Parts: sequence; structure tokens; C-alpha cells
Amino acid sequence: MANRLVVRNVEAGYGAVRVLHGVSIEVNDGETVVLLGTNGNGKSTLINCVMGVVRPERGEIYLERDGQRIDLVGRTPEEIVHLGVTLVPEGRRLFPKLTVEENLLLGAFRADARRDIAKNLEFCFEAFPVLRERKRQLAGSMSGGEQQMLAIGRALMATPAILLVDEPSVGLAPVLVSRVIAKIRELKERYHLTVLMAEQNFNQAVKIADRGYVIVHGQIAFEGRTKDLTEHELVKKFYLGV
Amino acid sequence: MVWLDLLLNALAAGILLGGFYAAVSLGIALAFGLLDIVNIAHPVFVMLGSYVAYGMNARFGFDPILTGLLFTPVFYALGVLLYRVYYVSFERKGAESLRGLVFFFGVLFIVEVSLLLAFGVDYRMVEARYIGETFQIGPVGIAFRLLVPCVVGVALTGALYLFLSRTFYGRAIQAVAQDSFALRLMGANPFRVKGIAFGLAIATAALAGALLIMIGPVEPAMNREYIGRVFAVAVLGGMGSIGGTLVAAIIVGVAESLTSTFYGPSWGVAVSFGVLLLALAVRPSGLFGR
Repeated sequence: MANRLVVRNVEAGYGAVRVLHGVSIEVNDGETVVLLGTNGNGKSTLINCVMGVVRPERGEIYLERDGQRIDLVGRTPEEIVHLGVTLVPEGRRLFPKLTVEENLLLGAFRADARRDIAKNLEFCFEAFPVLRERKRQLAGSMSGGEQQMLAIGRALMATPAILLVDEPSVGLAPVLVSRVIAKIRELKERYHLTVLMAEQNFNQAVKIADRGYVIVHGQIAFEGRTKDLTEHELVKKFYLGV
Repeated sequence: MVWLDLLLNALAAGILLGGFYAAVSLGIALAFGLLDIVNIAHPVFVMLGSYVAYGMNARFGFDPILTGLLFTPVFYALGVLLYRVYYVSFERKGAESLRGLVFFFGVLFIVEVSLLLAFGVDYRMVEARYIGETFQIGPVGIAFRLLVPCVVGVALTGALYLFLSRTFYGRAIQAVAQDSFALRLMGANPFRVKGIAFGLAIATAALAGALLIMIGPVEPAMNREYIGRVFAVAVLGGMGSIGGTLVAAIIVGVAESLTSTFYGPSWGVAVSFGVLLLALAVRPSGLFGR
């Protein structure tokens, strides 16, 4: 099943405040795309638009699945999850008083994922061995890095066609950020995932991205292959402090 | 050894009573423990269950437990409806804490007064052949009117435990109050999940009511003495822990039975509040709280 996510000319905001001004991005099948930008530029709003949490005022968001177009605008987050788009939310949003295993099983709530539970659970435990060791532990009692692993594992339990990851580095120590990023790369390489990741940590994000978009004040300021991104003036100015 | 016989009988009766208390308290463990809904009207739905069992028994000679089982879908639907009203009127506006409490107090009054108008203040009871039976194990007499409710209560606890821990909706019910937005990201609709949970909570009252009227005659205002008891059991058990609710119910049942045997029945109700205060002071998260 080939999946492609298309966001076209999206304008969105909260009340009178317009956050996104005509944003267009594409995530092709098997690609890892990063959405770069510092705080307050609209990364999370764009992710929330894709998930149906924020409804765009204008523009299109759709999935292309084997050539067929499925519109996402106007659908609830639940419906979008059932279409196979899952999100690892900012701040992880685990169920702290449920065990690691219960959190993972909730990830498989989506009807299409239920028959793959045994396979996906084994996959999660193989990808994140710490989750197997701690499967009876309450999610809230784990360290931040382990919680981020669990949040990713929980999203993978849904057998996602497209995985969205919102700011995986927030609140993590630098060494843990590297480890989480390395894990996402490993997953992508081994399992051909299609990933859209919003991140402000440029140096970490470019390690795994095929392509990237830089979003500034709600507009795409630059897009290109990862190699081009690192050499771009704007990026140098904003992120690398050169 | 009269004293020892009394003790053993009081213990046995307390354990049996505890199984029944579990059945009455499960709805609170669900609604209050897992959904954060302070449904003080729960015991009045138990009374409603009792009167349904009474009506079906007096009119058609139905067995109370059969009636209880038959009416669980009706009570479930009632619970779902009640949650929808509560959600639209209070929860959605973020006004659930105090106004929600007043709402359920109103529901309590309306149901209680309706029962009074329909059945009067007289005590009502059900008849079934096995209710009056007793058998002896050594010095301990086991009354069927306590044994059957205990067995049904334990079975109900087991069924609910399995549902909550083994099914997708069960796990969603456990998660919904912790982070309802994250639950949407799992593909579950929190409003629906809570409706199902609240429906189940009220459905348990249909069966618990049938058990209540089997233990002894009932009258509409009897729900009052259960309000404190069910909340005591739910808090002691550890808010939303189903296994914990059963253990706490047995502790409260034994404590009540011992006090009423050795100090007189009028102390019975004070015991549950005593247990509640003790639990809040010593272990506020309850015996099995997460």
C-alpha cells in the first residue's frame, strides 16, 4: 500500500490569530521529512491540522493511497487515526497510571491494527528492548527517554501508514535526544516507514531526514534535500549560528 | 464457647456481606474511580433495581437474579442516556465538579420520590424458594440469602475485571480520565468510551438491586445509608481498582458485621465512615490504588 500525504495552501489559526499562511508540503511513500522551525512558527499547528485537531480555514490536506485520494479536512482525529495516520504527540501524552503493556495495547485500538497485535508487540519489544523489561511498570514512573520510546512504540502499534512525530526532543537530555533520533532512523530503515517529524533541533533532525521544510512565521521559507538544507544561508543564520 | 461461635458467624456473615457490597460499589469504582464522575445517585439506582426485581417477582413470580440479568441492558441504556445529559449540561462546559454533584443529588431525589409515590413507604420483599435456606458448616450457619448475593457479586466483579483488562474498550475506559486527548490519538472517542463505562456502572445497579432485596426487605429511602458505604469501599479499594473494590468491600463487610454482633447494629453505618476516614488518613490512594 503506497501512501502519500499532501498539504496544499493551508491557512489556519486560533480565533483571530492566523498561524499558517498558505503552507504546502508533501510526504512521499517511504520518505522521512522534517519540518524545521523554532517555537511559535506553526509546526505543531500544521501537525494538528493533519490530525484533525485544528480545522484549517482554507486549503487541502489529503492522503493518496494507491492513487486514490482521501480528504482529511473535516474528519475527526479518531477517523484520521483509523485511516492509518498516527501521531506521537509533543510531550508524549502517555497514560501514566497504566502499565507499559497497557499503553502499547491501547495503541492498537484502531480496527485494522488489532489483528497485527502479536506481530506489532514483538516488533516494539525488539526495537525497544527496555519496554519488554518494563512491560508491567507504570508508564508514569519511567524516565523521559524511556517514555519517549514508549510513545513511539505506542504509535507503531497502530500499524501506521504515515507516522507523525511532534518534537521528540522536547524535555530530553541531549544524549537521550541522540538515542531517540537514532532509534527513529533505525525503524525507518528497517521497516520502510513514512514519517513526518516536526523538530526544532536541526542538527539532530537532519541526521534522519530525506528532505526538509523550514517554516518561518507560518510560511515555508525553504524546502529541499537534507544536503541542501545544511548549506542554505537561512538555515545557517537561524540554526547554526554561522 | 458462645463467644467463639459468635465470632465465626460474624466473620462468615461479614465476608458474604462483603461480596454483596462489592456488587453495589462497582458502579462507583467505575464512575467515580475511573471517570471522575461523582455519582451520588448510584445507590438510588440500586433501589430502582430492587423495585424492578420486586415488581417482576410479585407480578410474574420471576426469580430476582433472573430479573436483574434481564434488566441490565435497560439500565445500561439508562446510564448511557444519563451520561449524555450530564456531558451536555456540565462536563462539556467544564462545570462538572459542583454542579454535577447537585445534578446527581437531584437525580437521587427524583428517583427516590418516584419510588415512594409508586410503592409507598412500606417494606417490600421478594420470594424465591432458596432464599430462606441455611446450611451449617460446624458451628457456622451459612444463609442462602447472603450466600447467593455474595456469589453473584464476586462473579460480577470477575466479569468486570476481565472486561476492563482484556478488551480494547475496557482499557480505553481505564485510560479516558488520564488523558482524553491522547485517547483520541489512539482512535477512540472519549465521549463514547465514557458513555459505555457509565452505562456499565448503572447496569451493575440492576443486578445489585436484585441482590439487595434478596438479603432483606427494602424501602425507597434505604439508598441513603449506602451512599457513604459505596464511596468508602471505592476509596479504600483504590479508586477504580476492581480487585481492590472486592477486597475493600469484604473488609467493610467484616468490620460492620463484627461491630454489629459485639456492639449492636446501630454502629453499622458508622463503621464504613470510620474505615473511609482511616483510609484517607493513612493511605489516601487506597489499598490497590495506582
